[in-house]
Amino acid sequence: MYKYDHIDQTLVDQRVIQFRDQVERRLNGTLAEEEFRPLRLQNGLYHQRHAYMLRVAIPYGLLSAKQLRTLAFIADKYDRGYGHFTTRQNIQFNWVELEQTPDILAELAKVEMHAIQTSGNCIRNITSDAFAGVAADEYVDPRPVCELLRQWSTLHPEFAHLPRKFKFAINGAKEDRTVLLCHDVGIELKKNPNINNGELTANIYAGGGMGRTPIFGSLIKQDLPWQVLPSYLTALLRVYNRFGRRDNLYKARIKILVKALGPEEFARQVEGEWVQLHNEEIQSKDNFTQAEWGRVAKHFTKPAYQKLTVVSNEAILATTPEAERAAFARWLERNVKPHQVPGYASVILSLKPHGKVAPGDATSAQMNAIADLADQYSFGELRVTHEQNLVLADVEQSKLQELWQAAKQQHVAIPNIGLLTDIIACPGGDFCSLANAKSLPIAKAIQERFDDLDYLFDLGDISLNISGCINSCGHHHVGNIGVLGVDKDGEEWYQITLGGDQGNDASIGKVIGPSFYANEIPDVMTSIINTFVQHRAADEPFIDAYRRLGVAPFKEAAYKNNGKHSKESGKGAIV
Amino acid sequence: MNQQIIYFPKDGKPTVVANEWQIWDGEHDEGGIPDLEHGFHKVLVPFHWWITHHKNPDVLDRVSKGEIGIWFAADDDILKHEDLIETGKTLWPVIGAHFPIFRDGRSFSTAALLRDRFEWQGEVRAIGDVLIDQLLQGARVGFDAFELRPDQNLNVALKQFDLFSVTTQNSWRVQRSTQEVN
Repeated sequence: MYKYDHIDQTLVDQRVIQFRDQVERRLNGTLAEEEFRPLRLQNGLYHQRHAYMLRVAIPYGLLSAKQLRTLAFIADKYDRGYGHFTTRQNIQFNWVELEQTPDILAELAKVEMHAIQTSGNCIRNITSDAFAGVAADEYVDPRPVCELLRQWSTLHPEFAHLPRKFKFAINGAKEDRTVLLCHDVGIELKKNPNINNGELTANIYAGGGMGRTPIFGSLIKQDLPWQVLPSYLTALLRVYNRFGRRDNLYKARIKILVKALGPEEFARQVEGEWVQLHNEEIQSKDNFTQAEWGRVAKHFTKPAYQKLTVVSNEAILATTPEAERAAFARWLERNVKPHQVPGYASVILSLKPHGKVAPGDATSAQMNAIADLADQYSFGELRVTHEQNLVLADVEQSKLQELWQAAKQQHVAIPNIGLLTDIIACPGGDFCSLANAKSLPIAKAIQERFDDLDYLFDLGDISLNISGCINSCGHHHVGNIGVLGVDKDGEEWYQITLGGDQGNDASIGKVIGPSFYANEIPDVMTSIINTFVQHRAADEPFIDAYRRLGVAPFKEAAYKNNGKHSKESGKGAIV
Repeated sequence: MNQQIIYFPKDGKPTVVANEWQIWDGEHDEGGIPDLEHGFHKVLVPFHWWITHHKNPDVLDRVSKGEIGIWFAADDDILKHEDLIETGKTLWPVIGAHFPIFRDGRSFSTAALLRDRFEWQGEVRAIGDVLIDQLLQGARVGFDAFELRPDQNLNVALKQFDLFSVTTQNSWRVQRSTQEVN
């Protein structure tokens, strides 16, 4: 994994000094709150409903055991003993004090971490495939490009005050695990012997996003050599910075600009700007050099894999005591993913225990224990997934049984990956000051309703995403089932969307009709799931059944016994 | 307006100097530049005003004395006026770029375009809602003069430029540090 050199280290150390000064000026009153706000946001510091929240960057989701221990330490010393992993591969601490944030940043800097640009109207922390470098379906390891662009975007002066936030995702595998098209810019990396002499190239998608206007990004540039990414992205962001709307917060994202101009015209403007940048000799210095690639890429070589032979699941199961075999088989099926190297596998640790904690939460004790597991089983590294789980990427197949036992001790071995209860949820109204409604109690109620693992296994792959407001941090638009918290006359209601999907066949879900009260949601879910069970062909996944059947039968079922929408019949919050 | 500005030439040090340029908003004109406040002879006129008045003999006379520069509003599309700007390179001692509010970053791109595209060698001055914590970014995109909002502390402001000794992307002033490492 990437190791800071003296430049990276100097930069984060100096950033701490800068922020400490800004906090001091805020506290002594020489910096007004309104003027401090964008500064603290660019350091990941929000002012939430109850307290300050600090969002720490985990670039492209990669984390060392040592870093995770520091996060646990911060959770204990400066917060309430836990952290929340987010859909954008960051971690959030919900209860920090403004005065202590410079000290927290200093602790982070000691382990090559920071909170730079995890928020604010700037280029945000870059996300990528949680299985980068190990996925069996990968054709390019995206991490060197991720790291080069992390550096390029860090404290970029021209794009420090964009019209709105700006999110990059980078993918290099056959399967898209990054929700690429829902980002302001999605970069799809490829290597084709017929293009650019088989060197790495990028397809650029722009103008995607969720929020109140969900829209997929459009392909605006094909086969861009990796070296020219900085000048091309400068051109792209320059067009957005100059012409993105600033009159209306809700229309300020690049997706609105791309939509208004049309993708072709937007691409033409970017191209015009880029040709200028690219042609000028002085600007060619912007482009990445082979030496820079080498400096970064040397950190993403393969770990010291042993020469192992592939072990079949049957053989692994045979080593397990019979009483535990069924449970272990489930875990192998859902939580273990194929690997590039024979004899290895990647393991997903579920942060979605049924009904017990918020999706994505981990206690400091769990973080420390998981760090130990990473050291013991996965070369001291782990990853954060977009689905708010953790991954040990390089586990010897012969040690899976042992690891499963250890993971069970930490309550991170529930075999629900990809199932209905592997819920993606934003912190919602319990924490977030933007939220219209709570997310976490809804997730909890659904997990409690669908607590039978046999049944969940029978249902197969279903994604369920919950957002507490239209900003869509829970990515409800791309959930097979989406739940969106809405405010109606000061009351919390929940709107259901169906048919969203992430991955290569990504789609945006459709609203089925009027919204429901919180306490109706478990029944509505039951109705939707029963309809699926009733109509599915053998082993047909939910999304396929939905695409075949259309919304009608699901809608009918959802409103048949629910959704009376009267205060007398339905009202009541889930506590 | 601020009686002092920070001047930070590309290869020099940031210093506080007297402000010689008054900014005029282009309003209330009757075809010419209004009388300036006492002590000021130099004026930055809005670019949109320049477009319609630059052939006026009075304006030409003042320009020839080095007393007129222009300033771009944040929403001016400077690429639509390449000819006027090319000509302006021999006329204006100073170009201003305006920040209607500190968190509006459009003028960062204006400054970058002036330096990259037009190879403008003269002064680019940040005007408007210019705060201490924008100075570093401004200095790197191409600004070499800053008229801060009058309530800003110039001593604190001067310290901003030394905060970082490394950079991870090219700027108008320096190449990225990361390019130098093997």
